[in-house]
Amino acid sequence: MVKIGQQQHILPEEISIIVVAIVVGTLARAWVLKEDYRQYPSYPNGVLINIITGFVAAALGAVALPALMSKNFVAVTFLTLALQQFRDVRKTEKESLSDLEHTEYTYRGSAYIDGIAKTFESRNYIAFITSFFTSLTISILPFNIWINIAGGILVGLAVFFFLKRFTKGKTIGDIAQVKPGKVEVKDSSLYVDGIYVSNLLGTDNAEKLFKEEGMAVVIYPNENHFRINLDNFGQRQAALFEATRALGNKRYNFTRKDYEKGRVVITLVPIKQDIDALIEVVKKCPLLESAKKSHDVMKANLKEEK
Amino acid sequence: MGRESSMKPNYEILAYITRNKERVLNGSSLVLLADSEESSKEMTVDIAKAMKADVVHLKNGDYMIIRV
Repeated sequence: MVKIGQQQHILPEEISIIVVAIVVGTLARAWVLKEDYRQYPSYPNGVLINIITGFVAAALGAVALPALMSKNFVAVTFLTLALQQFRDVRKTEKESLSDLEHTEYTYRGSAYIDGIAKTFESRNYIAFITSFFTSLTISILPFNIWINIAGGILVGLAVFFFLKRFTKGKTIGDIAQVKPGKVEVKDSSLYVDGIYVSNLLGTDNAEKLFKEEGMAVVIYPNENHFRINLDNFGQRQAALFEATRALGNKRYNFTRKDYEKGRVVITLVPIKQDIDALIEVVKKCPLLESAKKSHDVMKANLKEEK
Repeated sequence: MGRESSMKPNYEILAYITRNKERVLNGSSLVLLADSEESSKEMTVDIAKAMKADVVHLKNGDYMIIRV
């Protein structure tokens, strides 16, 4: 920055740094936004809101370095505002999804909402860090401005892909097999592959509806310790929610775990009769951070190894 | 592994339909005495439809209308 009289003016190079870093950071937010499409409560307004908050995050990351370089240390305190803003994004998303709980076919559940809200917050950090590293690279490279900008974009992309990979969670399909289940109704009780599910089918209509249109999948954990994740009520509710959301829900939706073998049943009467889609959606259901446990770490702690 | 407290189902017995008058006891929910299997089935379905509730057919032949 150059001081002319009492006024400070931004140099053209600094404008280039800030603009490029903001664009790269905002694009980073937009790229991870696409991946999360199905988690959106509202499209296209939800998308717009998140791109704008991503833009603000990118802008904060972009101007941090030029502010430091101009020895304007007070200006750096706005980074605390950035943190506050990201936390607000998480809070807003949580509130918004919680408000929608009673309008969906079934509950998302607090655990799933918490996971989604955390993801939204972390995606803003991705925009922030990507734009910060882009800005940093352009500033420190000793070549001409165009080469510096190209270098900054490359570093920004590298940071983005690293962060995207780092924050990518696992899904149910990574730790379990999902197979179609056989629906049976005996004496007004519902069974899937012999596992008792519910006795809420007390009328002839209910029995008939489930026999004719009921669909079910059974989740088989690949390892016994994966039951810790899959048996978690929040995790099962998340899978059930995704199933009802993807296929619609005419009537009835249940989830049940089998204590003996660790199987988990997801069953419903969907609007769209597509068993492959049901299997796919359950497989792609994210493993919740709150339910996730590191088996190796737990093993080490339990044995109290030195 | 318990449920999340926010999702604890709030079961409510709305009505109990029986053909055995010995089972008609006091309680907060409505208990109806039916004179035949057909009649208890009809009453159950009608009430369940009106209340948008679920029906449990007990092994003793009685019906319980509940809302989850």
